[in-house]
Amino acid sequence: MSAALNENTAGWEPLIVSFCCNWCSYAGGDLAGTSRMTYPANVKVIRIPCSGRINPMFVLRAFQRGADGVLVAGCHPGDCHYTSGNYQSRRRLSAFKRLVEFAGFEPERFEVRWISSSEGDKFAEEMTEMTEKIKALGPNRKMRDARWQSVI
Amino acid sequence: MAERNLDNIKIIREAVKQDLLGGRISQVLGWEKGHYWWQSRPLFARSEADLEKLTWDSFCGINLSRYLLEELKDHEKVGVLVKGCDARAFNRLLQDNMVKREQVILYGLPCPGMLDYNRLFEEAGAVPSGIAENNGTVILKTGGGDREVKREDVMLDKCRECVYPDPAAYDQMLLSPQGERKAAGRFKPVEELEAMPADERFAYWDKELSRCLRCYACRQACPFCSCRECFVEQESPRWQGRAYQPSENFMFHLVRAYHGTGRCIDCGECERSCPVNIPLQELNRKLIKDINELYGDYEAGLDAEAEPPLLTYRPDDPAAFSEK
Repeated sequence: MSAALNENTAGWEPLIVSFCCNWCSYAGGDLAGTSRMTYPANVKVIRIPCSGRINPMFVLRAFQRGADGVLVAGCHPGDCHYTSGNYQSRRRLSAFKRLVEFAGFEPERFEVRWISSSEGDKFAEEMTEMTEKIKALGPNRKMRDARWQSVI
Repeated sequence: MAERNLDNIKIIREAVKQDLLGGRISQVLGWEKGHYWWQSRPLFARSEADLEKLTWDSFCGINLSRYLLEELKDHEKVGVLVKGCDARAFNRLLQDNMVKREQVILYGLPCPGMLDYNRLFEEAGAVPSGIAENNGTVILKTGGGDREVKREDVMLDKCRECVYPDPAAYDQMLLSPQGERKAAGRFKPVEELEAMPADERFAYWDKELSRCLRCYACRQACPFCSCRECFVEQESPRWQGRAYQPSENFMFHLVRAYHGTGRCIDCGECERSCPVNIPLQELNRKLIKDINELYGDYEAGLDAEAEPPLLTYRPDDPAAFSEK
């Protein structure tokens, strides 16, 4: 992950942290892989049990330690493995997304998407789109912890 | 006003005296005068002598309900004087299961709005020797004579925008209710910030939050910050270090405000207690505004039975992100 932090060089590449729910989005990523679809290597996937597991502090910590964009992916509403996890996270993350925008982050920096385990194509598409958007925006310096920038 | 206020204090003292001396409660939380005339600090009254110190004036801004968290450890049953915001704070603690209703007697005090001593000093140009109040005006006593100002203009920020000055929960209402105030523009500063470009908004918060000492006074004063272990003190994972670090200031303030989503009662104690005047209410109100817009109007603390918006959901909820 540290290579992506090196943003002073001409070939800057964004670092995107994607929290994927174990039951849908992570499996969707698997399907994208087994179907030989490609998506940018800028996306680092972190598997979580459910999108309801997302503590907004995870997102902020990612920004502190070098992420240029954060994407949370979960099952479509109604399909949650735990019945209501994504219904809960829809409310929480909606409020949180608006709060980080209010703090001065560009809306593209933090996104939430619903991707099911059969949507390998959507997984690849969303990851590509997110990477392109962040590439256009440039590196994120907001909330970056200076002590972590030097650890390259 | 001065005489009427003395009558009010008498009424309050009489009411709590009966319960305290009769043994129904072992302590009363109220206010007493501090070192200066512009300070009223919490009073923990356990005897008749203590009750002599009990006061009720225009400087009782401190929210007393929050003190219950500590006091109920040592007392079976406690009486609390509650203004509008104190009562909503009590409902908040009740909903968090931090207090038991039967352990507390609430004495309701409709609140005319509390005064901000900084504004009084500013208006007087120096520290006045005292004030008198008369029907919506405040008379500042200075060396160069008396100066009259409108009460509205010298109230605490948190009181200017207050809509519910009357306690929403009480066992006994001690004074006559104020009635609902007209909602002033409490979301106006939030809307102004929302209209800014993202970078400008970031610069604004960067400047405001860079002053934060992380003394956590806002958390200590807050009725929704009732966790026994706060994330800022967690060792593993360690969210907050001890060194000055701007990104950790952001972390603290965003997460503090976020933990109040659908729970913040908008009492403004965080902002009032902040030693470096960070506009914390703007963060809290942003969340109140968004939750109201997205998931329907909800005023935390008004009704202890109403379900907080983040503890529930509807299958057809809207989202602040694309759901395609």
